[in-house]
Amino acid sequence: MSNSHANGSHRANGHSIADMVDLASGTVSREIFVNEDIYAQEQEQLFARAWLFVGHESQIPKPGDFFVSCMGEESVILCRDRESQIHVFLNSCTHRGMKVCRYDEGNTPVFSCPYHGWSFATDGKLAGVPYFKDAYKGELDKSQWGLIEVPQLRNYKGTVWATWDKDAPSFEEYLGGYRTYLDFLLDTWDGAGGETEVFGGIEKWVIPCNWKFPSENFVGDRYHNISHRSVDLVGAGPSGSGRRDTQERVGATALDFSFPERGHGTISFLRPNDGPIPSYQHSKIVSDYFAHCENERRKNYGKWSRFIPGPGTVFPNFSYLPRQPRTIAVWHPRSPESHEAWRWFLVDKNAPAEVKEFLRKYYISYSGPAGLTEQDDMENWNYAHNASRGAIARRYPYNYQMGMGHDAPSFDADGLELPGLVRNVTVAKAAEQNQRGFYSRWADFLRASNWDELASWRNGHSNGAKFHNGAAARAGSAL
Amino acid sequence: MAEVINLITIAEGARISTINGATAEVVNNPKDGVWVFAKYLTSPEDPDLVGSEDMIFAQDIAEVLT
Amino acid sequence: MTTAGTRNVAQVLLKHEIEEFLYHEAELLDERRFAEWLELLTDDIRYWMPMRRNVKFGELEREFTREGQDINWFDEGKATLERRVSQILTGVHWAEEPLSRICHMVSNVQLLEASPSAEEAAEVALKCRFYIYRNRVETETDHLIGKREDTLRKENGGWKIAQRKIILDQNVLLAKNLTFFF
Repeated sequence: MSNSHANGSHRANGHSIADMVDLASGTVSREIFVNEDIYAQEQEQLFARAWLFVGHESQIPKPGDFFVSCMGEESVILCRDRESQIHVFLNSCTHRGMKVCRYDEGNTPVFSCPYHGWSFATDGKLAGVPYFKDAYKGELDKSQWGLIEVPQLRNYKGTVWATWDKDAPSFEEYLGGYRTYLDFLLDTWDGAGGETEVFGGIEKWVIPCNWKFPSENFVGDRYHNISHRSVDLVGAGPSGSGRRDTQERVGATALDFSFPERGHGTISFLRPNDGPIPSYQHSKIVSDYFAHCENERRKNYGKWSRFIPGPGTVFPNFSYLPRQPRTIAVWHPRSPESHEAWRWFLVDKNAPAEVKEFLRKYYISYSGPAGLTEQDDMENWNYAHNASRGAIARRYPYNYQMGMGHDAPSFDADGLELPGLVRNVTVAKAAEQNQRGFYSRWADFLRASNWDELASWRNGHSNGAKFHNGAAARAGSAL
Repeated sequence: MAEVINLITIAEGARISTINGATAEVVNNPKDGVWVFAKYLTSPEDPDLVGSEDMIFAQDIAEVLT
Repeated sequence: MTTAGTRNVAQVLLKHEIEEFLYHEAELLDERRFAEWLELLTDDIRYWMPMRRNVKFGELEREFTREGQDINWFDEGKATLERRVSQILTGVHWAEEPLSRICHMVSNVQLLEASPSAEEAAEVALKCRFYIYRNRVETETDHLIGKREDTLRKENGGWKIAQRKIILDQNVLLAKNLTFFF
């Protein structure tokens, strides 16, 4: 396998990264989805460096609580130690590699390896070594052989993130201006900044396609509505029709936000000032609750209450739906052709029981392998991947040219500072600015040797400065 | 030599003896079948251990006394 | 007068009747007669498929996600099941277009309870095993094996399914979707 740093041209398996992600022509090679060498490089260059979501604080409320999660291909343990500190460890004994935890979740004072018996405390320290005095003569330096811990961890509004790269920027710097949009997922519905929690039961299932298919879908694909024709026909929305309650989008401006220097992206709707407040007809308690939240939202968010957040992806593999259903999905790579999807469902901690119950049912029927909506996505990703593996298919790149070279119409942001590359797609209905931003960042990660190169915004070369109203195209950038 | 002990079944508060001839009271059982946390009651070989709490490995336990 | 003998005969006959019902149900699903299958469900059916966790010995009460409280693979009633059928019947439900080839096998049927009696059973609780083979498009194949706990209720002279608990013997779901019925 060739190394991407072997020469100055940044090659992966003989393919130039620049050719594979060709932003000037708006194409992306199928190789990056199907090629095994490129997949192996992603593990080193991308998943070992990026900030990755591990779990939610509400899954481990008490000391000793743990949840076994993944970072890329690796199994990790998210746990709370006796002093209530949160840790993330590689789930592998430092002696001979055995998984020290094969349970999905629980509470424990120690993680004991069933192979030779090394035992680790919940703060990662090596606490028990069989025959420490007799076999090791008491000389083993236990302080050096604790569980391997991530060098950086951040609990951001209840979501726990970690990176294997000690040189990665802080999580907030990694997010950049995208934080504004992510907060709409993590803050309470009423905008008062209260706590959220996840329902018990994390969905885990195997999707036979490359992990980037769902990541780019959530980063801002407004174009795939036809995928969901069947659910739009039969209705699964909270009020019984459509997929969601889309009344709130009537008369709204559709805006896409891309952060090509970071890879994140999301879509949204900016409601007119006098726009309708969505209603949830399910029951009086539920509709009263959401009406109350919307009123509070107007007070707490001010002008931002017009902002209806939509799906998004935090680079590389954390995708979410911030409104209804309110879910987090992580796409864990398993091979070029397969990934494991894990899904958490969020709810405001203080929501009435009847509201939580209503949302729980809606979430289940919408999302995941049994979800009326997502079943059709997975079929499309599955067979898009399947039909891209052949030697002939690989010669022909995917097309990401939508909206390139055209200004998007201006709009009245009414004084809102909207971070990122903003594109008004109300008339166009869709654009692929966000996907181009995602793959631009993917290419950065495969080219770069370290975080000094990746943190391009520090060098004044940021292409994520404020561009409004389609200025991205005017700026000469392929984005 | 005593028979093989299943650590999962040892209750907290139980007294155990070790193959070194010490006795200890189980203060916490993680029920992983590999280790127990115990407080030494007697330790003829190393009297300094008495009163201290330590992890005791399955194969170092000779017998459950109570 | 009911003797032990007639009671045994009634139990055997009931078991045979129930097994015939379960095979008939499987036949409807495998022949894609979904509308007829829906008619076998009571209006108040509970259709529940928990997810399963790996938990420590002695903590098996946490193995299954809870009905009515946690996220489950399925936790729904008739309206959602009807919607699933309608979705398949749109012809544009891509996950089932073209339709999968599905074979339901039901075995190990055990009658747990018949009330008020085997002779005049109006409600029956049973356990069984299922093996669902799915093949779709060209080579895509799933094998889903597990247990079912059903409650059947007699309505208008025929049996209907009032409760179904589906216990799939998997942790990470190995199928990409659950577009079919158990």
